[in-house]
Amino acid sequence: MTHRIQGPTRRKFLGTAAAGAAFGALPALVRTASAADDFKIGLFIALSGPASLFGPTQRASAELAAEEVNKAGGILGRQVKLIPTDAGGPPAESTKSAIRLMLEEKVDLFIGSHDSATREALVATIKGKVPYIYTPTYEGGECAFNTYVIADTPEQQIRPSLTWMMKDKGAKSVYMIGDDYVWPRKCNEYAKKLISENGGKVVAEEYVPFGAPNKFEEIVTRIKSAKPDTVLITLVGADNVNFNRTFAGFGLDKDISRLSLLLEENTLLGVGAESSKNLYSSMSYYANAPGEANKKFKQAYFAKFGDKAPQLGLIGADCYGGVNCAKALVTKAGGTNAQKCMAASEGITFESAAGPWTMHGRHVDKTMYLADCKGTEFEILQTFANVKSGEVCKA
Amino acid sequence: MDPLIVTQAINVLYAVSTLAVLALGLAVIFGLLGVLNIAHGEFIMIGAYCAYITQANGWPYLAALPLTLVLCGMLGVAVEWVMIRPLYRRPFDTLVATWGLSLLLRKIAEAIFGLGFRSVNIPLPGTVEFLGIEYPLYRLFLIVLSFATVAGLVIWYGNSRTGNQIRAMVSNPELAQAQGISIRRLASGTFVTGTCLAGLGGVMVAPLVPVQPFMGLDYVLRTFFVLIVGGLGSVQGLLSGAAVIGGFDSVVSAATNATDGYFAVLVLSILFLWLKPRGIVARG
Amino acid sequence: MRAASLVVLVTVALPLLLSEFWAYQLGVYGLYAAAAVGVGLCWGQAGFLPLGQGMFFGLAAYVSGLAFIAFADHPVIAILSLPLAALLAGLLAYAIGAVVFRRPDQSGAYFSMITLALCLLAFQIATSWNSVTGGFNGLKGIPGIPGLDDFSDVYYVSAGVLLAMLAVGGWLYAAPIGVLWRALAQNERRLALFGFDTNQLKSVAFGISGLMAGLGGAFYAPQQGIVTPQAIGFGLSADLVIWTAVGGRGNLLGPAIGALIVGSLTAQLRDTLPFWEVLMAVFFIVIVLAFPRGIFGLAEPLQWLLEWRRRKPAAIEAPAHGTRRPPAQLALDGVSVRAGDVTILDRLSVDFGEAGIFCVIGPNGAGKTSMFNVVSGELAAASGRIAFGETGVAGLAPNRVSRLGVARKLQIPSVFPHLSIADNLAIALWSGRAEKLQLLDPRLRRWTSPMLRELQSRYPFLAAGARKAAELSHGEQQILELAMALVTEPRVLLLDEPCAGLSPEETAAVMDIVRWASQRLGGATIIIEHDMSLVKELAEVVYVLHNGALLAKGSVAEIQSDPKVRAVYVGGEK
Repeated sequence: MTHRIQGPTRRKFLGTAAAGAAFGALPALVRTASAADDFKIGLFIALSGPASLFGPTQRASAELAAEEVNKAGGILGRQVKLIPTDAGGPPAESTKSAIRLMLEEKVDLFIGSHDSATREALVATIKGKVPYIYTPTYEGGECAFNTYVIADTPEQQIRPSLTWMMKDKGAKSVYMIGDDYVWPRKCNEYAKKLISENGGKVVAEEYVPFGAPNKFEEIVTRIKSAKPDTVLITLVGADNVNFNRTFAGFGLDKDISRLSLLLEENTLLGVGAESSKNLYSSMSYYANAPGEANKKFKQAYFAKFGDKAPQLGLIGADCYGGVNCAKALVTKAGGTNAQKCMAASEGITFESAAGPWTMHGRHVDKTMYLADCKGTEFEILQTFANVKSGEVCKA
Repeated sequence: MDPLIVTQAINVLYAVSTLAVLALGLAVIFGLLGVLNIAHGEFIMIGAYCAYITQANGWPYLAALPLTLVLCGMLGVAVEWVMIRPLYRRPFDTLVATWGLSLLLRKIAEAIFGLGFRSVNIPLPGTVEFLGIEYPLYRLFLIVLSFATVAGLVIWYGNSRTGNQIRAMVSNPELAQAQGISIRRLASGTFVTGTCLAGLGGVMVAPLVPVQPFMGLDYVLRTFFVLIVGGLGSVQGLLSGAAVIGGFDSVVSAATNATDGYFAVLVLSILFLWLKPRGIVARG
Repeated sequence: MRAASLVVLVTVALPLLLSEFWAYQLGVYGLYAAAAVGVGLCWGQAGFLPLGQGMFFGLAAYVSGLAFIAFADHPVIAILSLPLAALLAGLLAYAIGAVVFRRPDQSGAYFSMITLALCLLAFQIATSWNSVTGGFNGLKGIPGIPGLDDFSDVYYVSAGVLLAMLAVGGWLYAAPIGVLWRALAQNERRLALFGFDTNQLKSVAFGISGLMAGLGGAFYAPQQGIVTPQAIGFGLSADLVIWTAVGGRGNLLGPAIGALIVGSLTAQLRDTLPFWEVLMAVFFIVIVLAFPRGIFGLAEPLQWLLEWRRRKPAAIEAPAHGTRRPPAQLALDGVSVRAGDVTILDRLSVDFGEAGIFCVIGPNGAGKTSMFNVVSGELAAASGRIAFGETGVAGLAPNRVSRLGVARKLQIPSVFPHLSIADNLAIALWSGRAEKLQLLDPRLRRWTSPMLRELQSRYPFLAAGARKAAELSHGEQQILELAMALVTEPRVLLLDEPCAGLSPEETAAVMDIVRWASQRLGGATIIIEHDMSLVKELAEVVYVLHNGALLAKGSVAEIQSDPKVRAVYVGGEK
């Protein structure tokens, strides 16, 4: 009994050759058409995964900024073209996209609105070859080459708001609860310093596993027994929603106030009106933040997107600031040369959705807001102008 | 008695009872039909979203029940027919197929409702004072309702004609068929019962958890571990499994912190899977 | 061989056809593909589904990442850590398998759930152990392999890893161990009765799959420069299973193709097609329901890749059973077996002769098959002794009993249906003769023996090696199983109704073989039979069992005239 190899071999060769040709053709199919001297910006936003609920507003805000920039002549005469790319998956996927954008699309600049793990992976991949602007909230400490941070820092989120809680609301004892990863830990580290500065006491510092299905009955019971004046919450996403609802469900919201550091419109919607009494939030942007700048921004936003406009919030509006920052930076540097950009970044001013921001030490000092939750809406209680970022990167 | 201890004790009871009622649907399907339905969590999600829809339309909360039964029922019939029946003898393929189903259901929920959290208002708000503590009323209500559901199902299974037929089918399918019992209809009915029970569990817990398309994933593993640890095919197994898993997690979390609780549950489940795969209450 | 060189050629040439980015992308997915090959090995060959392979990939990634950071100034040591990290993952997988498979469990689903739970545990440890793993943000700043900075270098390194794993896989599939894995998936009980430690076989398969995933992970760390908990978590594990299923788990290239095609397409299209993931879910379900052999199963005949034979190779003579094993007497002494309240064997004491043909008869439920089951180690005796010559046998696992020289033909023909006749017989030949390491030698598939040749001359269909056993008629399967038992040249042959369902001609032929074999082998042949005419023809001594105990023993004539026996058969008393 002999084996005939000829037939299958030929078939397999043809099959593999066809597959190879198809592979080669794919990139051409997928590549988007663009003019040769567009200023291409790789926009890393959450298009998949749990954070992708912010994707639409991130994209919309960035597109609005790009349109405004282009109307005013673009960046150094070149029309801005955004390339939205998914950063909602594991960091390894984002780094692949970054490489593709650098190699194939030859992007001029990156803007990123995503978590720190992805940021660190991207920094390692981009290696400063292209300017990279990081926009949402983070834990501080990013001074990588050719990287610019307009995100809220722990000092900005915590100093004015927690000080107000301790002085104006008389909160002396603080219970800290957060997800177990670097941002909450860094925030709590900063908060502890501030609390002792103001003569307060840390009752407890607790963490829940990040990414696990957590329930909070036991923790809430512990908090009840410990009777703190306020709770400092660095939980995110579903954990933030779940904790607050359980907290209120056990009736603790009557006597104990809560300050949550990443509580934006969507999360508040999840928390619900029943559970949002005595709950405060502190960020650099809210959809109903006061001021002319936000009014103008919203006018333009709803004019462009109409009724279908995605819900506005910090995560999203940050991309608007990011695009404008890109324009200011590259214009002053006269190009995207890394050394020139690093030098030029000091002192640039650009429009964020909440107003003009100025860059120092590759971070931004900004106006922070403290909001009270009324039902499922934010009511801005306090405005803190010109809060220092607390981070200074050497040029 | 120290109010902290009393409250934590009721927390344990709450954890155990909700886990038991959420695992009930899976206990029916896995325990009686031997089918691994990884999409079990998604049926819970469907129930939760039904509660949300009910509330969004201003209907009374109880209206969520028939809505869930209809949705989960129809879906259960379709799934059993298309996916489960052809794969009865291929357990891995069932696992993999139901997993594809869970993916699909998640994505459909995402397409309809978006990824944001929905909040469902608690139908019985407020707290109750007793034994020197204050405890949320709705949670207490759920404890009672969960045990009642489990008890009701057990009594029905033990005493009804259908229950007898199912028992016959499970122990000796050929003989049951020879006696004129329609195995097909019974298996389909059992599966649908399982999915409907999952949906009802979702309606029950919806006011207490963030309702979003990914919520099902949390429950699948917990409920599987409950059945593994407790043992399949008996209500004592279900309750002991829920008691061990829910109780362990709750007690450890109360004593130290949530991370330790989560670790403890994982390690315990692995130990049971390894050493006592038939569970605490092993049926012969 | 031509197939292999073709695959290598295509792999080397591919980057020249593609853009630089695509070469890089395939390079990343090539490492995942290497891990997927391992999933295919477990699931497609050995028949169990690991749901947590990410833990091996990630473990090796963290280990090699830490090594590359620690030995940044000594790149040679760092590079050595690559195979070591993979080896560590493989050993861990083997250890898990050895510990888990040892417990008797109802279905492989429990194993799957354990791997899933372990993977979640690993993810949690990686996320919490900040000081070592960098926690949620990951282990950063891992230097690359020096000298490999280009994007096309990434491709060639990964292609090399993938090709190496495919080569290993291909070799294993063609080696005896591959045949044993496939046999295990089809009929584990039968394989154990041939003396093979099925638990160890599964552990080895799992260990090798861990090694493959580990090698992918080890190279992943210096390639990416960062290792995050996603590399060790359930998401990657789930993807590996999906890619394997879609690509085709039963053959060697399927999982790799699945990872490369589906993985790359997902990465590419995720940004542009909004409903891509819904499509993937539907596609996946369809594949599982309608095309279990996956994409590759549609394009290529399964067999061709699994058997790498050229011309029909020359047969090799199998070694004899060491020194000629002396015949041994099988004796049961006061053996009781209980299941719940039911007594299956009631202080059964039987002394079989050393050599000859013995028949065991008795009414239904007398415990005849149970007696065989307790002898071959499948039923546990509550009390009593079972001696095989000098050796006590009670409590030994079935494969250990088999290696003492006990062969068994089961009541319902039990062969390996999807293996070829040649493979079925080869397994019997290896039983008790092949050393463990020899199972890696593909030449063993050419073994033959005088006993086998004799059987093939009597039954020519046994020589039509390439036919699948499932294609045989019921009677032919009976004979195949009998032949397999004889080929092991046992000292005790246990036959459970060997002529059930056979035509009169087939029955006569079987009786011939049994008589011939009994003389040739010189040991004891114990036959359970209901047909008294057969018993009269064959039996030297007849044993009558009733209610789990020995009722009578003697020649056919003695038994027939024994009043106790007649009462039981005529139904006088119970």
